[in-house]
Amino acid sequence: MRKNHGYESKKSLYGFMFILPWIIGFALFFLVPFIQSVIFSFSDVSITENGFAVKFTALENYRFIFFGSAKFVDNLVASFTGFIYKVPIIFILSFIVAVVLNGDFKGRAFFRSLFFIPVIVSTGVVMQYIGADSMMESMRSVGGDNTYAGGIIDFTKVFAGLGLPDSVTQIITEYLNDIFNLIWNCGIPIVLFISGLQSIPAQLYEVSCVEGATKWEELWYITVPMLRHSMILVAVFTTVDFCSSSENKAMKQAFTLLLEQQNYNESSAMMWAFFILIGAVFALILFLVQHFIFRRWD
Amino acid sequence: MDKIKLPDFSNPIYKKKAKKTLGLVLKYFFLIAIGYIVLFQIFYMISYAFRPESEMNDVSVVWVPKKFTLENFKNAITALDYKNSFFNTLTVLIVSAFIEVASCAVVAYGFARFKFPFKNFFFFLVILTITVPSQMLAIPMYLNYAYFDVFGILKLIGGIAGKELRPNLLGTGFVFWLPSLFASGLRSGLFIFIYRQFYVGLPKELEEAAAIDGAGPFKTFMSIIVPSSGVAILTVAIFSIVWHWNESDLSSLYYNDRYPLSVMLSFMSSKLEGIANDSRGIRMAACLIFVLPVLIMYALLQRKFIQSIDRVGIVG
Repeated sequence: MRKNHGYESKKSLYGFMFILPWIIGFALFFLVPFIQSVIFSFSDVSITENGFAVKFTALENYRFIFFGSAKFVDNLVASFTGFIYKVPIIFILSFIVAVVLNGDFKGRAFFRSLFFIPVIVSTGVVMQYIGADSMMESMRSVGGDNTYAGGIIDFTKVFAGLGLPDSVTQIITEYLNDIFNLIWNCGIPIVLFISGLQSIPAQLYEVSCVEGATKWEELWYITVPMLRHSMILVAVFTTVDFCSSSENKAMKQAFTLLLEQQNYNESSAMMWAFFILIGAVFALILFLVQHFIFRRWD
Repeated sequence: MDKIKLPDFSNPIYKKKAKKTLGLVLKYFFLIAIGYIVLFQIFYMISYAFRPESEMNDVSVVWVPKKFTLENFKNAITALDYKNSFFNTLTVLIVSAFIEVASCAVVAYGFARFKFPFKNFFFFLVILTITVPSQMLAIPMYLNYAYFDVFGILKLIGGIAGKELRPNLLGTGFVFWLPSLFASGLRSGLFIFIYRQFYVGLPKELEEAAAIDGAGPFKTFMSIIVPSSGVAILTVAIFSIVWHWNESDLSSLYYNDRYPLSVMLSFMSSKLEGIANDSRGIRMAACLIFVLPVLIMYALLQRKFIQSIDRVGIVG
């Protein structure tokens, strides 16, 4: 008994030794800057001869970013709207693609390697350039003097043909272009969903097949409930990815402020304001889903 | 003459068949539509990269330029300072990626196989680190790196010795290497998570056999676990390399010169004014040579990568 106890404590010591690098890293590269970042957002940070000085200014930074400059509120609203419609689209689209790719069909290997390309090339910068350029094209073709024959479906033409006014056409085109770009954000979610699908035991589908369930019923009564952990992970990943991507205007403004003006306090405040807004909405949605949907499946 | 006998279409078999065909058509339509969007962007890059400036707005040029030109690539290589920035990316970011692949494996093994107090709490913290955008932490880290210190120890010793001992890490590779070494680099939380899922699913028998043979846990990890976790290592390595390759926000903050490729690419637009009236060709050429190395890596590894996604079981 005693010997066993010794073995156990030795084992737990080994466990600590394995995670020790992470504990140090967590303290040094996460916890400390995390707390500093909160403090910065409530202070005035200035560079001194050997380091930096922090002077507590209470809510001054927040007052300034919300009431002192109008631009941040606009950007915050824009980012928030983006979050509200982009994350669900990425979520649903990548779910459908993953279910389709997980099935067996001709050309599966080809489509799979094709759909993972966005995982590889998904840089904000490249996407910005391509997005900006193809956007320029469609803007020009609204003017009517140029036929854009680059290959993408020319929505501006389609809508102009429908007789919609140019301003409406432009808004719709903008959103549609966004959706095109969104497919590029689906890479990792598809990967996460596929690996979740792989872990569903095949017996469940066999049983439902014997019981005479249709494919549609299988999807709703087996696949979706069994994937709930993946779904949470994908939702978290997509949200965080959105928060930290440079397409996101509020984050971009904060980071530009930091890079160009070395403003540490206001940029911290902006990031926190944005992070808390998104985090609160996300937590609320997660709570509702957990409460009203997942509980019924358990 | 015999009448051609039509099959009896009211037979439910045909209804089922029709449904199946329809489903198949829809499926391929969907796949091809999305595949088209993915490929469109790639083809767009290629098409414009080889197009001479005079053909940029030529309506008659659809995809294939009339005259291929390498001028765009020449300009892009100069604008990106390709040789140097490629070297910077390799020595700083890719090295950091490899360090991260190793350190996260060690930490994840600790979480997967040992029992110790506060284990679940620690793992919760790992997940928490995934949810915080790295830019937010970068602001204080930038200031901390300027006078790097470990919990004030160096400052204390320096104060006694009357010398500044805190090194300035900004502009060196350590700003990426150090966090990676301590499993707290770019998206390390996600990698620890992936590794842990994999190790939990690994049968214990081999490790037990090794323990009976007298191998300690570190030896077991090196000689049993590492050789049998090729699938997980491959998945994490590809993700880590790709994310490090594409990383530009933190590097543009931590560096003042010797930028990696990604930063050069994002700064390029302003440099191009004056070189050409329509810089689209150069931009696309730059994008193309930027993604090319990772694209080649993916092409070489894609079969194994796709298999490994099935087998790693990222979500348990």
